[in-house]
Amino acid sequence: MKVWAIVERSASGPRRVSLEIAAKAKELGDATAIEVTGLERYSSLPAVGPLATKAKADAPDLILVGATPTGRDLGARLAARLGWAYASEATDLAVEDGAATITRTMYAGKVRATVRATLPAVVSVRPGAFTLKSGAAEPVVESVTADASAEKLAFQRFEPSAAASGRIPLAEARVVVSGGRGLRGPENWKQVEELAGILGAALGASRAVTDAGWRPNEEQVGQTGRTVTPDLYIALGISGAIQHLAGMTSSKVIVAVNKDPEADIFKVADYGVVGDLFEFLPAFTEEVKKAKAGA
Amino acid sequence: MKILVCVKQTPDSTVRVKVAADGRSVDASQITWAISPYDEYAVELALERKDADPSTTVAVVTLGAARGRDALRQALAMGCDEAILVSGQGAETLQGSAVARALAKVVEEAKADLVLCGRQASDDDQGLVGLALAEALGWPHVSTITKFAPADAGPAGSFNGIDVWKEVEGGHEVWRASGPAVLTVQKSEKDPRYPSLPGIMKAKKKEIPEKDVAALGIDARAPSLEIVKMEPPPARGGGKILKDGDMKQTAAELVRLLREEAKVL
Repeated sequence: MKVWAIVERSASGPRRVSLEIAAKAKELGDATAIEVTGLERYSSLPAVGPLATKAKADAPDLILVGATPTGRDLGARLAARLGWAYASEATDLAVEDGAATITRTMYAGKVRATVRATLPAVVSVRPGAFTLKSGAAEPVVESVTADASAEKLAFQRFEPSAAASGRIPLAEARVVVSGGRGLRGPENWKQVEELAGILGAALGASRAVTDAGWRPNEEQVGQTGRTVTPDLYIALGISGAIQHLAGMTSSKVIVAVNKDPEADIFKVADYGVVGDLFEFLPAFTEEVKKAKAGA
Repeated sequence: MKILVCVKQTPDSTVRVKVAADGRSVDASQITWAISPYDEYAVELALERKDADPSTTVAVVTLGAARGRDALRQALAMGCDEAILVSGQGAETLQGSAVARALAKVVEEAKADLVLCGRQASDDDQGLVGLALAEALGWPHVSTITKFAPADAGPAGSFNGIDVWKEVEGGHEVWRASGPAVLTVQKSEKDPRYPSLPGIMKAKKKEIPEKDVAALGIDARAPSLEIVKMEPPPARGGGKILKDGDMKQTAAELVRLLREEAKVL
């Protein structure tokens, strides 16, 4: 079976999720890692054309993309161009008898579904779905040159978020520290950022917080925001609306800190702290610092 | 400018979703239906454009079960000018890329300059139809947008292209589309408006024409995602609750648990 993994690159090399899907592709069969080159900024039309041409010639059975903003954009349009089946945000995947069996969430995380797609198919894979074995060789990446003549849009400029954390993309982070209304105001995020910095975590937020403009939209976790599945999710001052829970309930370990013992967030927490966030947070940050220093 | 907004009617995001007894679908008796949240943001963005330039017309379309009429009525009450229901036999089971082909017919008939969709429907969470619609039309698309505005001030009512703010990691990219485009919406800056009372009265009187999906003459075959099984997410709870302690001690205890028990630190 022929499997492609589409590789995305960040400044420091291939993205982690790209390595994850490249390793999975190898496990599934005859793997090719492919990167679209010649684009300063990803745009769908210049990327999709050459990929579709190559896919028709090489006839892979399965194309994997990372379920990143770019991967989901490219994957869906490529599937539409090729007329192939498409599934997004797979958390597991197996292939048998010409079909892919895919585990993915539906209803904004409220339902876990097993679906079957007849091959050939394009599947976007959630970061962290396949763990990368340490010492795995970096894949040899074949490049496909983008076709600039297919572009119908013109890039104007990039506007960075005022409060962009600029650290780790939320979707790919193994640790997420999220803040809610219990933090009382944007000025208190310094403390959240300090903890996140020590943990190497991405910053998240509840919808109340992004709606109030305390934090940028892109940090919103939950329905109408991002779905995350880190190893450790720390919810600070988040009450746990059903829409928020849907976006983080598949995290491996959940820590919740809230002054209200009845808060719904405690229903999904592995470790809950009932108490004053502003007393707890500096003490916890200090303890984590000590633990990390000792490790 | 004419904007067509594609909406899907999905279970209200504030309610729980239960898996039905067959283990392959959701229990429809428990569901309150609403416009999918991202689609509601798309309606809001389209109406904001109309607020800024009243010569803009906003049409809304849904494809699926006849109950979708309620979603359209809601969009009309919010301020959309016209609504189209695509329904009939086979509409509910039509798969992503065939839905896109059917919607492409509607876009062509409506002579829309711009199409807005939510970034994904809140039931299947696929995020395919908007982009497949752009593909069926041969138009460019910009996904996960939060804002758009006319690129240049041209004569009122004309379409001179638009600038689109696409949410990406770390900020927004601004892209210009000089021709028609499909935009999928991440969020509107303002919350979607509530229908006004006059809006509701007006919406009640509006005719909602129904198109039979079979009469659109599209190729209804499409690769499908067959649902094998549905289950609730793994149950959680029964976690350890630390309370009533000195916060310093609690913090130290939590770190110990995260290291020794959960092994995530």
